Amino acid sequence: MAFDFFQKISRAPTNPHAKPTTREFDVADLYRGPVDAGEAAPGAAPGLDEKLRQAYFWIVNKAIISPHYDIEYNDGPAQTFTVGDSKRVLTLPSGQSYSSYVLLPLLTFATRRKCLFVGGPGRGKTASAILMGVLAGVPVRDVRRAMQHGHPQMTIADLLGNPLPADMVNAQTMESIRISWRAWLSMRVKIIDEYNRIPTRTQSALLTVMGDNYAEVLDQVFECPESSWFLTANDDQGGGTYQVIEALRDRIDVIVQALAFNPRFLDDLLVRIEEDVRPEELMPPELIFSELDVDTMGREVRAIAVPEDVRRRLEFFASQFELLDAAGGQFEYMTKDTARLSGVDWRDITAADTGRDRMKDLGCQTRNGVSVRNLMTLLVYAKALAYFRGNPAVELEDLRQVLPFVLRDKLHPDLDAPFFAVPEHAPYRTDRVSWLRHLFDLSNAEFLRLNLEHDDPVGEMAALFAQGLDGVSERETRARLVKIEKLIASLTKGKKLYGHLYDDLLKLKYLHQRYTNYLAWLRAQ
Amino acid sequence: MLKPAYAGVLAAGRDQYNARMREAQRRYPMLSHDVFRAFLDNAGAIVDAVAPERVQPVVDSIYDLGLALAGRTLIGPAARSPVLQDAWRTLFPRFAILIAREPAQVLGMLSNAVVHLEAIPGTRLTQWMDDMGALAAQVGAVDALRAVGQIAAWRAGAAHFRAGALAAAAGLPAPLALAALHAPDGMQVDALLRQLAGDPWWQGGDPHACRARSFGAFTGFGGPFDAPPTVKPDGDGFLVHAGGRAFFLLADAYGASLQAATLAEFERAEPGRVPTTLAHAQACANATTIAITSPFTHAIRLEARS
Repeated sequence: MAFDFFQKISRAPTNPHAKPTTREFDVADLYRGPVDAGEAAPGAAPGLDEKLRQAYFWIVNKAIISPHYDIEYNDGPAQTFTVGDSKRVLTLPSGQSYSSYVLLPLLTFATRRKCLFVGGPGRGKTASAILMGVLAGVPVRDVRRAMQHGHPQMTIADLLGNPLPADMVNAQTMESIRISWRAWLSMRVKIIDEYNRIPTRTQSALLTVMGDNYAEVLDQVFECPESSWFLTANDDQGGGTYQVIEALRDRIDVIVQALAFNPRFLDDLLVRIEEDVRPEELMPPELIFSELDVDTMGREVRAIAVPEDVRRRLEFFASQFELLDAAGGQFEYMTKDTARLSGVDWRDITAADTGRDRMKDLGCQTRNGVSVRNLMTLLVYAKALAYFRGNPAVELEDLRQVLPFVLRDKLHPDLDAPFFAVPEHAPYRTDRVSWLRHLFDLSNAEFLRLNLEHDDPVGEMAALFAQGLDGVSERETRARLVKIEKLIASLTKGKKLYGHLYDDLLKLKYLHQRYTNYLAWLRAQ
Repeated sequence: MLKPAYAGVLAAGRDQYNARMREAQRRYPMLSHDVFRAFLDNAGAIVDAVAPERVQPVVDSIYDLGLALAGRTLIGPAARSPVLQDAWRTLFPRFAILIAREPAQVLGMLSNAVVHLEAIPGTRLTQWMDDMGALAAQVGAVDALRAVGQIAAWRAGAAHFRAGALAAAAGLPAPLALAALHAPDGMQVDALLRQLAGDPWWQGGDPHACRARSFGAFTGFGGPFDAPPTVKPDGDGFLVHAGGRAFFLLADAYGASLQAATLAEFERAEPGRVPTTLAHAQACANATTIAITSPFTHAIRLEARS
């Protein structure tokens, strides 16, 4: 008999939302209750978002022992306790909260992105990755066989496949050499265990598969299907046998940390030993997602709205970090990327960065800015989290919760910055997730202080331009140009240059240029 | 003391039954051996009533259901009430023919129904059991049992099952439907169903039916409202607002039941006020029912409009 405990999944809505629909009471409810009487559940099959939640709750309740609820949501005030000499705060969230270690991989699965599990040995990183493979309907045995284990001798042929020996001898042209591709390349959930033990040259081949979704050996190309990726590493900071190439790290969308096992859950481990069960082998079939399910889920996630007020917060946050006015002579080149490309020592450049309040300026806390890829990933995961929570639109809290996991390895702290020298900020030197969340909170506080929620003249100018130029007269165009110039003058008069202002000015310059071009065209008519 | 046939099945499957018990103990930490043993004794009347060749599957079902019920403390000293245990002893054996045919389904349905009705405040579980016991001899199929149980549940006070119960009654053989609905002498099924559908407060000589009732009380006294409620009509029922929470109330001649609603629904609803001469009281009405509330009481008075 199968160990039934692991087969049980949540039957009730896992995140019930009150729907103002016509009331219909199902008299068949009378026979639904604590024991199985063979009465079918009401209505059609649950939506894919509900199925995803069921999968989440099955994993946290049955498969992953001692989950940590670090993605906190509140419906009203939360209960907090100040603990210890360090005055750390323990929060009891008042809303349904989640474990990042399970949720982020699930969202990765739903959106077919790339997730890296990090943490010490024996914390279940590989087991969690295998669960994601099983969720896609692949038998556990096949998932295990298809998993790539990084090791120092791993060659490109080990990773991608070998040319057929007979063809190597007989072929007259490269095109006629057939390749025996590795089975994992065609799988929709790809698992690379200990990817930081793969030699650098093989990492480059892996980069092609991860980045461009194809594999190449001896001029032969294998097109891989769209898939989600799960990688594991004992250390995401460049440890392992080989340094991970930057481009490969950049392809990883989220990083989740396997937190420590709580020995209070030892009895759960004991059950597994005594019953000789592995949860991944007992996943209920109702939780398996077909290829079509994942395709549909991807479409539904993309359809989740990002309201303008949420988008503005992200814009404001992202605009904090790229500016480094000491790095460039021309306005457009005053960026950290210019400094990085120059190869000049970081400290030399930041020493010349004067005039701003380096404690207050959020940009001073990082050594780089947020890339386009990072922003797109952030939006995808924020949408996915809203979808998972059964909401039609992204809330600010969704963005706040996914941001640290997306930017963990992307936004690098400048540990020499004054912010990190403050004793209360010492934990942020080691805890990237908390630092990034704190950074986003600071950005939001600044956004509210500047009253940008209600007074955003640059946003208004952009919205006006977005209405199109059809029918805009020469006179009106000139008026808008003057308005932009006046706005720039008022924004810059007597003010120091911060990241968000820098981006606003560049946006105004863009609008000015578009109107200038339009004016030239009008006059040529 | 178990009868030999019953004890024989348990003894023959000792290893398997012990394994199920071990598994259930993992799943239900509250599972008590004593409670489960008493349950098996209690279910002896069912086993005694089924044909010998069906004893094995019936015992299998009793065993598994017993583990689930005992594990969830729905039976035994820790249970909310002894009703379910009583039902297994007194009511369920009367459906022995059906149990022998579909043991897991019938025992599961009946157990779930008792648990479900027990959880609805104001329902008359004893009346439901009496009705079911009285109709048992006429129920020859699981579908008929399902419909009869639904009708009896509605008549026992689960007002939100009214529409579903009437629909179920329409699918029953006429004599069984008339008996389940306690029809007045000489009344035809079609006419009876029309009458019940048209007037939720129709009594038809049924002693359990009435044309007015009070519903609700202060939470401190076990009621659902922590402040005197206000109501607005909404379809067949009323939206109720009390102490920052909203509910949906359905009432008819046999009872009243309260379901969850949202504050937004309450705010959207029209007041639907009707005049009243009662001092400090407010009245509103839907097509069939008048609801009267007062800032001095946590109860809602519901009366037939016609």
